[in-house]
Amino acid sequence: MAESPRSEIMARLRAAAGASASATTPEQIARELAALGFASAAVLPAADTCIAFMANVLANKGSVELAADRAEAVRVVGRYLYNRFRTHKLVAGNDPRIAAMPWRDAGVLPRFGAAENGDGAALSYARLGVAETGAVVTWTGRANPGRNNLLPEDHLVLINREDVVATLEDAWLRIRQELPAGSWPRGINFIAGPSSTADVEAQLVMGAHGPRRWHVILVGATPAEALAEAKVLTAATGP
Amino acid sequence: MKITSDHFLEHADAALADPDKAQRRDLLGLFMPLARDAAAARYGDFEALRVHLKQVRRHTMEHLEHYLTRFEEEALRNGNQVHFAATPEQLNSTVLSICQDHGARRVAKGKSMVTEETALNDHLQQAGLDVIETDLGEYIIQQAGETPSHIVGPALHKSLAEIRQLFLDRHDLGERPLEQVADIVAEARGILREQFLQAEVGIIGANALVAENGSTMLVTNEGNGDLCANLPPVLIVCTTLERILPRVEDAMALQRLLVRSATGQPQTSYTSFYSGPQRDDDVDGPLETHIILLDNKRTDILASDYSEILDCIRCGACLNHCPIYVGVGGHAYGWVYPGPMGSVLTPLLTSLEQSNDLPNACTSCGRCAEICPANIPLPDLLRDLRQEESQRQLNSPRWRRGLRVHAWFLRHPALYQRLSGWLMPVLAWLGKRRGSLRTLPFAAGWTGTRDFPAPEGGTFMRQYRKRGKVRRRRG
Amino acid sequence: MDNLKPKRKRTRARRDVALMVTCLADLMRPSVGFAAVRLLERAGCRVSVPDRQTCCGQPAYNSGDVNAAVPVAQAVIELFEPYDYVVIPSGSCAGMLCQHYPALFEGEWRERALALAAKTWELTRFLTEVAPLPSPKRRPLDAAVTYHDGCAGLREMEVKQQPRQLLLQQCGVEVKELAQTEVCCGFGGTFCTKMPAISSKMADDKLDNAVASGARLLLGGDLGCLLQLAGRARRRGLELEVRHVAEVLAGTPTGPGIGDPRR
Repeated sequence: MAESPRSEIMARLRAAAGASASATTPEQIARELAALGFASAAVLPAADTCIAFMANVLANKGSVELAADRAEAVRVVGRYLYNRFRTHKLVAGNDPRIAAMPWRDAGVLPRFGAAENGDGAALSYARLGVAETGAVVTWTGRANPGRNNLLPEDHLVLINREDVVATLEDAWLRIRQELPAGSWPRGINFIAGPSSTADVEAQLVMGAHGPRRWHVILVGATPAEALAEAKVLTAATGP
Repeated sequence: MKITSDHFLEHADAALADPDKAQRRDLLGLFMPLARDAAAARYGDFEALRVHLKQVRRHTMEHLEHYLTRFEEEALRNGNQVHFAATPEQLNSTVLSICQDHGARRVAKGKSMVTEETALNDHLQQAGLDVIETDLGEYIIQQAGETPSHIVGPALHKSLAEIRQLFLDRHDLGERPLEQVADIVAEARGILREQFLQAEVGIIGANALVAENGSTMLVTNEGNGDLCANLPPVLIVCTTLERILPRVEDAMALQRLLVRSATGQPQTSYTSFYSGPQRDDDVDGPLETHIILLDNKRTDILASDYSEILDCIRCGACLNHCPIYVGVGGHAYGWVYPGPMGSVLTPLLTSLEQSNDLPNACTSCGRCAEICPANIPLPDLLRDLRQEESQRQLNSPRWRRGLRVHAWFLRHPALYQRLSGWLMPVLAWLGKRRGSLRTLPFAAGWTGTRDFPAPEGGTFMRQYRKRGKVRRRRG
Repeated sequence: MDNLKPKRKRTRARRDVALMVTCLADLMRPSVGFAAVRLLERAGCRVSVPDRQTCCGQPAYNSGDVNAAVPVAQAVIELFEPYDYVVIPSGSCAGMLCQHYPALFEGEWRERALALAAKTWELTRFLTEVAPLPSPKRRPLDAAVTYHDGCAGLREMEVKQQPRQLLLQQCGVEVKELAQTEVCCGFGGTFCTKMPAISSKMADDKLDNAVASGARLLLGGDLGCLLQLAGRARRRGLELEVRHVAEVLAGTPTGPGIGDPRR
């Protein structure tokens, strides 16, 4: 009878590696790997992590607004929805942080749950922001169903100032702290821009399949000058 | 996929004879390297990143069995079903049987070069399944019945006018202008959105497999792969052994190199790590997930002198930087992977007999190796393949004879110098009026497209020797 | 051929340099070899041209016939071992000696190949970094010049600024740069005859860029590329003079350009 593909492949790998590699213990392999360390991250466009983050969000064709606190964030979201859709409808996951916000103050009517086809705007509360790449990090679960990042026309993301980290390695350090072994979610998503494509004539078009717009709201005490500086930086380096 | 690499030269001639397509390729060859260089320069120490990933890759390849076992354990713990496939046929039949187990009729696919390699679509379609490619470029060429011309931008060979006509023919949507690129994208979005919602099975590839937690990394701008991974009730990840990396940080290092090398972006819109089926806390996502690990000769390559090609991260930069790829386009290469990386992979994954023109489609200019984010010595690997071609006598006997005679003369300098000292003045005399010759016996390969510049006259060695004698007499 | 062997008596200031002419200069364009000798002597070197030299063995090596390349490489190593420096008016052949010979061998021969590689120089690099040319006493060259970077020189021998610097110093000429100067011209040794259509397309791109640069004179450091470009320029009837950079550096050339009719 033929061998199973698995044992066949494993046997071939063993043969390819030779005797010395096969004799290496897992502890030795782990030591070898640890000795390699991590990669050097990209240079940040600004020394201030939040300015660098905003500059990269803008470079990624996102838009940024500031909100001093959650009450102001509600007003920012309300204004955005009205300007874009002339409605106050919004879908958001069952994130306690979003549920606790004073939505009625701005007349916003959030629906809590998973986004459906045809939804205009979805709101996520990001776990992290990464300055190096201008990405926000969400993970799947009741607080942010995976499809909420993908199905709406516009994706709005709240991110706390203190949750913005400098590098991707910093981000993973935080993720490892917040998700102890065994509680790994189904999906961890680094989002850094609207859904886009350049597959036709190499022309960049937004809204390939998912959100056409990606709007990031930085929550916390950020001076307006910081956003202005980020805009100057993005304009200077270009897309 | 059916291989036609043995017709490389005919394909190349046809490609060169199409000025519109040639111009599109020239623009690609001009702008993509500029974008990549700018992105690498902005990174800071891009070279250190390249060296780092190379070390991690080599470490992983050396201990591939260890990491593969670890990945499998973690993936199983996450609730995945893990399958191994030694051959393309095994991958295809595994996918089909999963689809059939669920009574699936519609399959939505993200971009996957691995499934191009195994010709999965043909296999599923023959069994009556409706398979739809959801990456816009892949969707366009699927509708056109073509194959990818580029591993990152599969439809970049097609003009807006061609795609417009294709959509008008294929989509029964009545009269509409469809004149802008944005119109094309919007129309495809509407059609594909329905497919995502209706598909019973989603199929994606993986840019990396993370051994420490059994998750797969998916990097896209369109988000189509993410829709495939989040909406259909069954998800199948089709991937290959060498995508494995030890840690999430290593996958991120790869991603940093990949996006800048592929498109010149500092970041793609979506970088996702998927680990398995719905958890208790989930309200969406697939109920069942499968990971299929394909070998298809990777273990042979690992044991060979070509193992470094397994470090390839499929960014396509070597295509954009290769003047031969830019000259003739991806279809000339006659299989799934074109350009320098394809000229190494095609002979190794199919056979050198069917594809021995590809390693010869190289001037050893070294530009691909210079920018390869995985630091693969592509020109050296191509030279090694030419060596194998020569040893296995797959090149033309006339070539081999010619080279052998040449090498013999080189080892007999006196004879070489006497013969060349006689021949060169003859050629110089023949070309003295025009300064060059339009034809030359046994040199049609040269004179078919170029004049042969006439030699100046006597060889250097003969003249120098004469002058030396003159000087000695005077002294 | 005693006069071709190295002189054993050494003065401190003079460097013992062996010129490897290269097969293409030997056969096709001896004036490149003579120009190299003149330049090296002007730079204060004692120049020897070891007899029995033929070719570095690249055609066989790049075509995959390593077995044929090995004895050729051994002969070159033996022939050039006695000298302080080996200088080659070609980035491609220099790259073969420096980068590829050591990879052909193991053990003792590898050591000998590495020793040869350590003292082998491409001509324009040697004339800027090891034995700088003295300032010239002649009129500047009156021509619009562009320069083609041969790939092996560029990537294997780090030749980029040196020929430009020499052209400026010696001839008062600033190079009009080619668009996409780091892209191959399509020569590629045997490639150009195996795949002539692709090769000529690449040459055409290079020639179009040369014409667009506004230059009348196209220079380069590798005769392989230059024969390819001149041959294609002649076939297309382009008014472009093609020469090896050494010819121009050694003095205003009097003979015709590569592939040009005799004046």
